[in-house]
Amino acid sequence: MRIELDFIAVLLQWPLLAKGVLWTLGLTAISATIGLVLGTLCAWARSSGPLWLRWVVGAYVEIIRNTPFIVQLFFVFFGLPAAGVKLTPETASVIAMVINLGAYAAEIVRAGIDATPRGQFEAAASLALSRVQTFFHVVLPPALQKVWPALTSQIIIVMLGSAVCGQISTEELSYAANLIQSRNFRAFEAFIIATGIYLLLSIGVRALLNWAGPRYLFGGRRG
Amino acid sequence: MVDFSLWDIFRNLLLAARWTVGLSLMAFVGGGLVGLALLVARTARWPGAERLTAGYVQLFQGTPLLMQLFLAYFGLALFGVDTSAWTAAAVALTLYTSAFLVEIWRGCVAAVPKGQWEAAQSLALNFGEQLRYVVLPQATRIAIAPTVGFLVQVVKGTALASVIGFVELTKAGTMITNATSQPFLVYSCVALLYFALCFPVSLYARSLERKMNVQR
Amino acid sequence: MSSANLAQAPAPIVHIQQLRKSYGSNEVLKGIDLQVQPGEVIAIIGKSGSGKSTLLRCINGLEVFQSGSLSVDGQPLLHSSATAMRELRQRVGMIFQNFNLFPHLSVGKNVMLAPGLVKKTDPTAGAARARQLLERVGLGEKFEAFPDQLSGGQQQRVAIARALAMEPSVLLCDEITSALDPELVGEVLRVVESLADEGMTLLMVTHEMGFARKVSDRVIFMHQGRVHEMGTPAALFGHPQTPELQQFLSSIH
Repeated sequence: MRIELDFIAVLLQWPLLAKGVLWTLGLTAISATIGLVLGTLCAWARSSGPLWLRWVVGAYVEIIRNTPFIVQLFFVFFGLPAAGVKLTPETASVIAMVINLGAYAAEIVRAGIDATPRGQFEAAASLALSRVQTFFHVVLPPALQKVWPALTSQIIIVMLGSAVCGQISTEELSYAANLIQSRNFRAFEAFIIATGIYLLLSIGVRALLNWAGPRYLFGGRRG
Repeated sequence: MVDFSLWDIFRNLLLAARWTVGLSLMAFVGGGLVGLALLVARTARWPGAERLTAGYVQLFQGTPLLMQLFLAYFGLALFGVDTSAWTAAAVALTLYTSAFLVEIWRGCVAAVPKGQWEAAQSLALNFGEQLRYVVLPQATRIAIAPTVGFLVQVVKGTALASVIGFVELTKAGTMITNATSQPFLVYSCVALLYFALCFPVSLYARSLERKMNVQR
Repeated sequence: MSSANLAQAPAPIVHIQQLRKSYGSNEVLKGIDLQVQPGEVIAIIGKSGSGKSTLLRCINGLEVFQSGSLSVDGQPLLHSSATAMRELRQRVGMIFQNFNLFPHLSVGKNVMLAPGLVKKTDPTAGAARARQLLERVGLGEKFEAFPDQLSGGQQQRVAIARALAMEPSVLLCDEITSALDPELVGEVLRVVESLADEGMTLLMVTHEMGFARKVSDRVIFMHQGRVHEMGTPAALFGHPQTPELQQFLSSIH
């Protein structure tokens, strides 16, 4: 039995693929930024916040980590309009990705914060730094540096998970692949190429984050 | 539009959830077996096994599970295999699970101190015996918590099988939403059921991890 | 001090009355009375577990005491008020046994951080002052270096500069040479001696008896949570009154 594969037909559609890649990267970039901020705030709340807040954040983290992303996405896109909030596919995708990453980032950053040696707190207190100042200047930078590999991995996971957003017509890479194969019926080829692009993206984004983190977030020093 | 009661919705979702559980267990067990085979090959240093496993892991960890499902679905069809959504999902999830598990287990084997291998070798045990009687028992102890923890990822992964048409919990949710036009309610129930499946497992994995840390 | 001078004696900069502290049911400070004059150098010695470090850490609020009173510069310690505590810590600096430098910041930034955030010093002035202080402790050229590039003695000297940057009236030294290799102890002690010469009020918990003898105005021997003996170095080291102090002094020779 001869299998005929026609990759050219798919590669000719490279503008669609390129658009998909840009959307995927864009969604990931925005979600990663906001999600990281959200996760850091949640981590702070869990280590230093009032008891009721710790409980709320804890519940948020557990719910997100124990339900599939696709269900969270459908809830945001299909469920919220029934409660009065109408969203475009792109907005819904970003919101779902932010909420998802935020929960995982909260745990990861919290682990970094918890690993701060007690002496650092005492030194900061002795220098009359306030709790907020201590958190942002003394605790957070080394904590981020410690957990950066785990955070990077989680951002990659969210980027790969964004493939699902094509299901609600967000025009990212998997949507592009689906569109192509619906036109020329080269399903296997389209998905192989898209998968290969995802693989390159995950390698590239990891390298980018490993370069950017030390540069912009926590200084290039071994903490 | 026929009026559906909450119980109707819930009952249908529960019935579909059986398939979620079934697919999860199958992928977990199947993936475990494949992963174990890969682990042994890698640990035994069969020629090329290390490179191959690394590439295998990189492939499954660096690409979306959704794409893997699509490829299984359309790829198997290409080879003339009569593919149902169930078969494709089972194959894809099994391979996905095997990649993640072999990576987890590789770390656990590496965590067994080198001295253990050396002691076993000095006692004239062959490789199989070193692995079976000395290293694997210790690696297994370390591996239990993260392996149980990964089961949660597998259960969540089955939700994507809905996209290729497999009728599990998420797909049932979509179908019921279309019938009842109550997405908020239906997807809340779907989330609740996933939570009911995953949260106990997460808690168990965490308690295992705490026990292990105490022992060390 | 004769009674005629008492009326003109300056107010104590640290005034401790009947201080008691317990960890759970274990009482570690059993009623400490102490007055420290501005410019005094006090060495606190004693066995481990005698409460020396705990007493020191009460003075800048790192430890909370249950009864008694403690005031610095006339201001009583208010643990419940975060603002009051930060006020206090601008006047009382501390050097730790394990230095506790901030590993992710350069030496210069370590020194500049607190003045910039707490006193709102502008960066240029802060940097200049930091360089000046680092010169003072003999590390002027290490401004851009990072803590992990320095020896223990150098790190401790940076810690001293960092504490001095806040211009405290009192400096608390908690066994600051105990974690150092013997050959590095001297460089740190020289800096502390120069601070004493300049009139800084110092309270030091230390095992360096020779240094304590040379530099301090008063030595306090603590035993089981109490001030057991107190006096000039000559008196305490030369003529120990109690058997506990005699035993302690002979055990460290």
